[in-house]
Amino acid sequence: MSRIQPPYKILVVDDEPDLQPLVQQRMRRYVRSGQYQFVFARNGVEALQCLRQDDEIVIVLSDINMPKMDGLALLEQIPKVNPNIRSVIISAYGDMKNIRTAMNRGAFDFVTKPVDFDDLKLTIDRTLQQLLEWRDALGARDRLVALQNELDVASQMQQSILPKSFPQGADFEIYASMKPARSVGGDFFDVMRLEGGVLGLAVADVSDKGVPAALFMMSSRTLLKGAAIGVGNPSEVLAEVNNLLCEDNETAMFVTLVYAVYDPSSRRLTFANGGHNTPVLIDGDGKATRLPLTGGVALGLVPDLEYEQMSVTLSPGDHVIFYTDGVTEAMNETEEEFGMDRLEGLFSRSRPVEARLVNDVIFDAVMDFAGDAPQSDDITCMTLLAEG
Amino acid sequence: MELSSENTGGAVIVKAVGRVDGANARDFHEGLEASIGADGESMVLDFEGLSYISSAGLRVVLLVAKTLQQQSAKLAVCSLSDSIREVFEISGFDKIVPVYADTGDAVSGLGV
Repeated sequence: MSRIQPPYKILVVDDEPDLQPLVQQRMRRYVRSGQYQFVFARNGVEALQCLRQDDEIVIVLSDINMPKMDGLALLEQIPKVNPNIRSVIISAYGDMKNIRTAMNRGAFDFVTKPVDFDDLKLTIDRTLQQLLEWRDALGARDRLVALQNELDVASQMQQSILPKSFPQGADFEIYASMKPARSVGGDFFDVMRLEGGVLGLAVADVSDKGVPAALFMMSSRTLLKGAAIGVGNPSEVLAEVNNLLCEDNETAMFVTLVYAVYDPSSRRLTFANGGHNTPVLIDGDGKATRLPLTGGVALGLVPDLEYEQMSVTLSPGDHVIFYTDGVTEAMNETEEEFGMDRLEGLFSRSRPVEARLVNDVIFDAVMDFAGDAPQSDDITCMTLLAEG
Repeated sequence: MELSSENTGGAVIVKAVGRVDGANARDFHEGLEASIGADGESMVLDFEGLSYISSAGLRVVLLVAKTLQQQSAKLAVCSLSDSIREVFEISGFDKIVPVYADTGDAVSGLGV
């Protein structure tokens, strides 16, 4: 819908010939200053013709008693031509019955005859004010609908890149899931089967939201897959993905991610961290240890960085939890964060064995904690179980 | 989130109070851009009153640093709470944007 701007076009409808020169004379100051512009019609039929031909008319100022089509009948027809026009009725002083009927038929306001032009000016301005606010509200609604469509597209892109099933083996279990926030965030995860029965695992979080972030997520994920298959070791994978993301990244988007390679036969987990939350190891007794930070910078910001990698050898029964800040920064109704301590304490008393159940315990705990507080970020968690 | 800025002549000090997340990152960006000085002053973001910053907020910090860089000006942050400091450390942002203990350190560290 087009924005309305001055001069505001007002249609005056009256069968008496003396109103037109009077309006032109008494309102000439506002016409000259470019505030209003008047057009005239002599009855309802002519008025409707004017409205059909001229979509710039925003206010109709109409008499009630007129030949062919009176003001009350005109009021009923106006919304059919343009529902965003406001009508003001001019009626004889004391003609409350007609005024009431006019208001019931959607007139916005009325003025009485003989017309007091100061009062008319105030009435017109008040009507315009309401009309502008109304159109702004409609515009905001349209923009919201457009934004919602954009978010739907982004959300579909995000869902489409997540693996739907996970590699299975006798000596490991892997499970991951994501609970997207209502406004699309930028989490993703990936599980890849690499050469020699080795697994590539990634959990990532793209800055910002919406379609540009979703596109950045797509390229991050694709570059990561390519590097994981082609390069191999985590520090080199991060360095390569970082350099590729830095090319033409004017918008300063970035992705934090942990990339790990796990060899089930040796139970050796090698990981590198690009600005992401550090994974947590839960041992067979349920005791939690944070894997060391490798000190890497988020990817896409500064080219030619080196990323360190570290290795740990897991024991059978160890779980490694990879997650995004949607887990640790989930807030409850009193704006308290879930935090690392709660995450690390979750399994101190009992711990399921299956990776999927461990993952579920974490999600349930975060949801319980958050209660009815709105979820502001995606929540992603991936659990790897080492078996003997 | 509330922003207030003060131009000390050598640098613009912007205090951010409250939360910066995906919902208000754009306001944060517009507010910081509007605070950029006309004479190529460097900027110090005083985060003492900041309770939370999301990745969208970090991105804004970086965008502003880039804008300033084009004017040969610099950006620093200071007075980070423990949780904000952790966010900067984990993401590696402390290696990209200099972090100082307070505004005094920041201003002298920027050499303005």
